Amino acid sequence: MADGKEAILSELENSVKNLQEEAAMEAARKALSAGVSPIDAIEKGLAKGIRQVGEKFERKEMFVVELIYAAEIMSNAIKILEPELRKSKEKRNVLAHVVLGTVAGDIHDIGKNLVRIMLEASGFEVRDIGKDAPIDGFISAAKEMGAEIVGASSLMTTTVSVQKEVVDALRSGGIEAPLMVGGAAVTEAWAKEIGAVYSSDAGSAVSVAKSLVGKGG
Amino acid sequence: MAFGIKRGVRFQILSESDFDRIHWGTLHILEKVGVQVDSVACRKLLKDNGCEVDESKRIAKIPSHLVEEALSKKKTSITLAARDPKYDAKLDLDHSYMTANGNGAVAVDFETGERRPSTKKDVADSSRIIDYLQNVHIHWPMVSSTDKHPSVVHLHDLDASMSNTQKHIMYETGVTLSDAKHLTEIGYIAAGGEKEFRHRPIHSCLQCTYAPLQHDAGVMDASLYFAEHGVPLVFFGMPQPGATGPVTLVGSLVVGNAEVLSALVMTQLHAPGSAVIYGMGNAPLDMRTTIRAGGSPEHAISSAIATELAHYYGMPSCVGVSATAKVPGDQAVLEYYTGCVGPLLAGADLMCGVGLLEDSSCLFYEQIVIDNEIVGSIARLIRGEWADDDTMALDIIEKVGVGKNFLAQKHTMQHLRAGEHFMPDLIDRRSFDAWSASGSKSLVDKAREKTRWILENHRVPPLDADTQKRVDAVIEKAKKPMWGGETKRD
Ligand code: B12
Repeated sequence: MADGKEAILSELENSVKNLQEEAAMEAARKALSAGVSPIDAIEKGLAKGIRQVGEKFERKEMFVVELIYAAEIMSNAIKILEPELRKSKEKRNVLAHVVLGTVAGDIHDIGKNLVRIMLEASGFEVRDIGKDAPIDGFISAAKEMGAEIVGASSLMTTTVSVQKEVVDALRSGGIEAPLMVGGAAVTEAWAKEIGAVYSSDAGSAVSVAKSLVGKGG
Repeated sequence: MAFGIKRGVRFQILSESDFDRIHWGTLHILEKVGVQVDSVACRKLLKDNGCEVDESKRIAKIPSHLVEEALSKKKTSITLAARDPKYDAKLDLDHSYMTANGNGAVAVDFETGERRPSTKKDVADSSRIIDYLQNVHIHWPMVSSTDKHPSVVHLHDLDASMSNTQKHIMYETGVTLSDAKHLTEIGYIAAGGEKEFRHRPIHSCLQCTYAPLQHDAGVMDASLYFAEHGVPLVFFGMPQPGATGPVTLVGSLVVGNAEVLSALVMTQLHAPGSAVIYGMGNAPLDMRTTIRAGGSPEHAISSAIATELAHYYGMPSCVGVSATAKVPGDQAVLEYYTGCVGPLLAGADLMCGVGLLEDSSCLFYEQIVIDNEIVGSIARLIRGEWADDDTMALDIIEKVGVGKNFLAQKHTMQHLRAGEHFMPDLIDRRSFDAWSASGSKSLVDKAREKTRWILENHRVPPLDADTQKRVDAVIEKAKKPMWGGETKRD
């Protein structure tokens, strides 16, 4: 049994790493019938695979489409595990909970989506509140999920100021989670000015997020 | 000399049957899949005119006859007028016009080299450079006045542009109805009245559609207002092949085409005969870095085929170029040259734009001057050649005879004066000795010298005091708190 479990876990890992959707589904079904804990299947299987894809993407060895595809495979495989997952008392061991959105007035979301994918691939749980997201949306989502980090994207000079309003609203709503900001119109200096943390791309967003929650960086 | 680049060369990439296929495919998508229309006013307009509209999904399916009608109603002869009429850009499908790039948020200080948020002074100074350069025909506010109150940044951008160039100004910042009202009001003031503006639109607005197959509410509400008030529009599709459009360039063209044509339908239903330019900027997302590859061959060829499709519809095209380079120099030149030459060879009517790096976000003053040189070289490339008595020069060949040369011929001198050969300004063709004796300057060094000269010497007549006062008043009136909060900028 132990042997079988190891084999299934590495099948899960490899199928994500090698972008094999069918194999991932198959391995997830096998995990269920072999009684592998769904948390293990995710953390010691699928997530290990996606992390390697993320690292390869960072080293420019894989394309972003491949990363996204791998993320898709992983979430489809998780759907198969879902019924067991709900029954299980164990909790997924996520690095931190993150609320992420593009601020009100701004519809640019490609960068924000990439940040989400990279964070998820690195073990964060992300609640994506979409684009043109009202300030309240950040606050209520952060409260609901007990976010340790909030992220706000903004690509226009006219919408960067909304990031400040997000920080202000977070603080007056009693939420101490740090705000991460990014997007074309944002600079390091601006982030400092409003008491937020800046990163210039999805890769550095991951290391910054990790350091914010004290999980290395 | 006539304004703009007269074209004599046109590469043809797509065939007639390709156009038919793309057009048919686009109509099919519009009828079957539809487009998401976030503007309530636009959905009503479409519904009232026979489109099937799903209010919960905000999807409108557009029957093909509406597209054909819109194509027949649109304004066909568009002139982008200028404060000084010698700079009027006639979009006659026979001339190409180069524009500035627009709306970066960062500038590299010309004196200190510091990379910092852009200011109103950057908008003003870059406008003067554009005014001076002869291969840039249409102006865009190149960066944002981030030192101004966020609610009126873009009105300041327009203000600084108007008083520092006499060329036509295109902006891309009419993103809400109230933006549109203020920008239009300023245009009317600058033109001397509504009637004068409608007759000679000295400003125009570029609007992006939202790939795949969506229209932002604010952008479309503003667009209807512009169309109704005589402000020419560009609808600019931007599916990124592989990301927000199919990876194949033609597939992304179909997506962008569906967006542009559906925007055209809405404006022509609302304001029949309004001026719409066909825009498309399908630059791929670089799949390794996720930066938009604006100076890539794929963007160039996408812009070329979009231009062909625009001409198939009898519309002028507006296509783009940008660079991912971080500093002026070899990479920027390579990207700008690639990005410009493809579309211009295919007959792009508006090619935007010069001078920004880091994917249209960072202004280097000297890059504007370098790009001006690139366009000069391409202008010669696309001028075209023809065989007539004068160009064949049989009489001269006969006169000179065998084994001599043509250096001292009047024919030679006359044609050189008329621009037969491109005379570069920055490219150094001297010998090594001459070059090193004068300081071994690079192209960028020379561009910086020329930029400095322009900044020190080129003056643009300001707006008259009364006009300026009225513009200032509009800006003051438009200032409002942003999303409920106040920021500290003035
Ligand atoms: C693609 C694009 C669009 C697409 C957006 C599609 C989409 N689904 O997002 C479309 C065509 C819809 C569009 C529309 C418009 N656009 Co636009 N657009 C761009 C463009 C060319 C690229 C943006 C992009 O996707 N880059 C690729 C991604 C991967 O990069 P990124 O977003 O920067 O994200 C990375 C980092 O910044 C960081 N990051 C991003 N967010 C976050 C958040 C956090 C928390 C963290 C940690 C990190 C992080 O990580 C990301 C991944 O590495 C930019 C130019 C530019 N340089 O940004 C203009 C740009 C942003 N657009 C601009 C404008 C003006 C507009 C319009 C107003 C035009 C119009 N008149 O219609 C409208 C916007 C309307 C609105 N209300 O929002 C201007 C803004 C100018 C200004 N100074 O304010 C820009 C700068 C172009 C320019 N120079 O003119 N646009």
